[in-house]
Amino acid sequence: MARHPVPDLLPGTLDLLILRTLHTDSLHGWAISERIQHISQDVLQINQGSLYPALHRLEHQGWIEADWRVSELGRRAKYYRLTTTGRRQLAVEAREWERMSMAIGRVMKLA
Amino acid sequence: MNVRDVLLRLRALVARRRVERELDDELAFHVERETHKQLADGLSRTDARARALARFGSVSLAADQCRDVRGVGLVDTVARDIRYACRTFQRAPLAALTVVLTVALGLGLVSVVFELYSTLFLRVDAVRSPQELFAVERLTGPGEDARPSFTRADYDAMRRETHVFGDAIAILRPVQTRIEGRRVTSALVTGNFFEMLGVQAAIGRPLMPRDDDRSGGRPVIVLSHFAWSRLFASDPNVIGREVRLNDLPFEIVGVMPEGFRGLGIASPDYWAPLALAGHFRESYAGREDSIAVEVVGRLTSVLSPEAATAGLTIWASRRLEDGKLPARPVAIKLNPSQGTLSTDTMRALIGFSPLFVAFGLILMIGCANVANLRLARGVSRQREIGVRLALGASRWRIMGQLLTEDLLLALAAAAAGLAASRLFFRGALYAATTIVPPELFAVDLARFTASVDWRVVMFLLCGGVVSTMVFGLAPASQATRLELVRTMRGEVTKDPRPDRARHALIAVQAGGAALLLIGAIIFLRGALAAATVDPGVRTTDTVLVPIGNEARRLALIQAVATHPSVATVAASSPPIRAVAEASVSDGAAAGPPAPIVRRGTVDYMAVSPEYFDVLGIDVVRGRGFTPQERTVDAGVVVVGESVARRLWSGGDALGHVLRLSADRSSNSPEPDATPLQSRSFIVVGVVRDVGGGLRFPDLFTFRGVYVPTSRESAGTSLTLRVRGGDTEQARQALVERLSSVDPSLGGIITMKALAGVQMYILRFAFWLTVVLGVLALVLTVSGLFSILSYVIEQRSREIGVRMALGATASHVVRLMLSQSLRPVGIGILAGGGLAAILAMVLTSASSEIASVVHALDPVAYAASGIVIAAVCLLGASVPALRAARIDPIATLRKD
Repeated sequence: MARHPVPDLLPGTLDLLILRTLHTDSLHGWAISERIQHISQDVLQINQGSLYPALHRLEHQGWIEADWRVSELGRRAKYYRLTTTGRRQLAVEAREWERMSMAIGRVMKLA
Repeated sequence: MNVRDVLLRLRALVARRRVERELDDELAFHVERETHKQLADGLSRTDARARALARFGSVSLAADQCRDVRGVGLVDTVARDIRYACRTFQRAPLAALTVVLTVALGLGLVSVVFELYSTLFLRVDAVRSPQELFAVERLTGPGEDARPSFTRADYDAMRRETHVFGDAIAILRPVQTRIEGRRVTSALVTGNFFEMLGVQAAIGRPLMPRDDDRSGGRPVIVLSHFAWSRLFASDPNVIGREVRLNDLPFEIVGVMPEGFRGLGIASPDYWAPLALAGHFRESYAGREDSIAVEVVGRLTSVLSPEAATAGLTIWASRRLEDGKLPARPVAIKLNPSQGTLSTDTMRALIGFSPLFVAFGLILMIGCANVANLRLARGVSRQREIGVRLALGASRWRIMGQLLTEDLLLALAAAAAGLAASRLFFRGALYAATTIVPPELFAVDLARFTASVDWRVVMFLLCGGVVSTMVFGLAPASQATRLELVRTMRGEVTKDPRPDRARHALIAVQAGGAALLLIGAIIFLRGALAAATVDPGVRTTDTVLVPIGNEARRLALIQAVATHPSVATVAASSPPIRAVAEASVSDGAAAGPPAPIVRRGTVDYMAVSPEYFDVLGIDVVRGRGFTPQERTVDAGVVVVGESVARRLWSGGDALGHVLRLSADRSSNSPEPDATPLQSRSFIVVGVVRDVGGGLRFPDLFTFRGVYVPTSRESAGTSLTLRVRGGDTEQARQALVERLSSVDPSLGGIITMKALAGVQMYILRFAFWLTVVLGVLALVLTVSGLFSILSYVIEQRSREIGVRMALGATASHVVRLMLSQSLRPVGIGILAGGGLAAILAMVLTSASSEIASVVHALDPVAYAASGIVIAAVCLLGASVPALRAARIDPIATLRKD
């Protein structure tokens, strides 16, 4: 197993991915990483050790909030969901990402 | 940083264990969920768990990163630093204790001064919006002192006719009475007093406007918290109780809260309606309108103090006085009235600066000791710090560690300083009351006791932090600047200039001690000199009885004259300035007016015939007054020698004519005195000039003219000569007897106590400076001792080498002594020089200081220098002699 499954993940993109994943419903940490991996068809594998500091940081920034619920295993787990400010932040970051990727895409096609 | 962030951090701090458990649970859940997934993929339980853990990476690392996010790591670091600091203190408890006690001693002393300062100038009274309160004062003339010279009628008119203030109150204070035989002081106030100040009673009710009805107030009083606890033992059932004041029953209707002082520095015992002033002093009865009161107004409107002053000036200048307009515009001044002496903090600070400096010197000397100790400790901790640096600790971590130690010491020192300041305050109060006769104090000192409030606590905390930090920072930063490799090898890196810093500190200490001890000796010699000065009047067996209540005069004179301990009773009025015209006469007063030979101003006082005898004023020529000459109408005067010399050439005044008329050019010092009718007197006697030996108080100096009066005439006070040896006992007996005649009588004082004021002040100053000076000296010597011991320990190898090379024991002792005593000598010289400069500045600023003490007294300078040098020599010789006993073989073998 690679220690750095996403070696070239741009700085800040982990936050974007987490926020986007939480866009539709509230999930616990493991589910977040699973979903990112699944949707990206195993291209993006989140370093699970760095996922939690990122979640806690986002929580401190007020973009996501957490509560404890009973999970599918029948055990209590910490579920994260987007806050209103988080939603706004997601929109900003998504737009920015869109702009970035389009710009890079153009350069790759034409240069 | 947003609200949620703060809340989360706070939660992490408060519910620490819970947050930790949640973090563990969260991470454990992840691993378990991953394990579950791997199990579903068909792995065995152990393999699944191993793979899950491997995918996750280090759980504890992730947990640490999560902790970093919530910023609890800092708390952990601080907690660890504190634990570490406590271990350090445990390892060297004596060093820590020395630091704490030394700083606490200095802090305690400085905070006593601060408490006093805070009590006088910072402790604003507990009333609503005190910054809106202004005392209205009338300036008596351009450049003259403001004095409250409004009458009750003025106050009523001001309230009626102006709208400058939201509301205004009038206060009459202090009024002395007795409750159950104990002297109490009160303030008579208008009915809106408490309402305007916005203060509620702690128990019962405050005074109301209806209590102060002008047609006759209600006999009710409101107690202050001080009086409630002192006189009524904090009895909650005191409301409704009746007390007798001047033989009239008054009902207690309320007790005010603690901390409310009624716009004064010290709280009175009770407040009563101003309308009842006539009950408290008979002289007020029937003339309530002309009682002089303090007026305080609340400026709630949009008016600035300047605009309010202007408005009141116009009002006062237009106001009719005795049916006519005032001759010149009345100048009005508004002074902030917040229950402190003055709101001018700058001037107050300057006035207090000598005390702050004197007490601060001790703190500084103590801190110098601490700094020296820490410099020394820093060197001995080099190895420990070197190891930590080598293991990768950052310099900031180690600085933070050392500063945490300082901060802990500072907190301990501040707490101990608080205890010390209470002790010192008691001591100073005890000294003041034992040195100075209590009757000399205008206020009961117990009432005045400064209380510890948040200002004092803040002062102590800041002082503790500043003094330990400033003196800990330099050693801390020095301690972390190490040559790692050499330190690790166990070599002590020699700091570049340790001796110079230490020597400078010792010099500063010796200088401070010299400054204080010189002051002490100057004050002592001043006090001794003042004790032997002849006040010029007989003070051994004379007692002064002022009469404040003219209505009780006859009864008082009767009581005094028949008292068994009283031998003679004399009366005298205060001196008044008058214009004198001297002429030479043949003795026939009725003849045509003789030509005036000289004109001038003189002071005159009215005295009864017994006066010269009671006070032992010798009649040089002629005679004193006869018992029949009891009024000015007798037409005779007695003059002092200097007046005689001034007005008649040759000083032969006897039998000549002196014409006295009122001096209109100056303000009469006693506004109540009856104006002098212009008339001629025949000089019947010449007496010795009185006083002049003492500068303070200047009560006894009188070189003027005496006119006859009697004990019965108003405005005079009584001077008694008592029988038997014990004047103080006689005074107490008189206080006992006379207060039953006039309960408001106060200020019975022996002339001896009055004459001793200068001596008492100097004696108090002596005790203050001598205690401080000895403390400074003890701290200096203990510092010297510990530093020298430390230096000798550090240099034992060098000393061993010297001795091995042939130095004798006396060489070594001399070397050690000369090296450590040189800074002491420099310090003494600097301290002496500073004292001399200070003395010259002070004496040139005020000639009174020069007349009270001899500020450049060579004896003081020499004696304090010798004392300090001798004590330091003694202190230094112990470790120096120990150095001489170093065995060179043993020290050389150590390497």
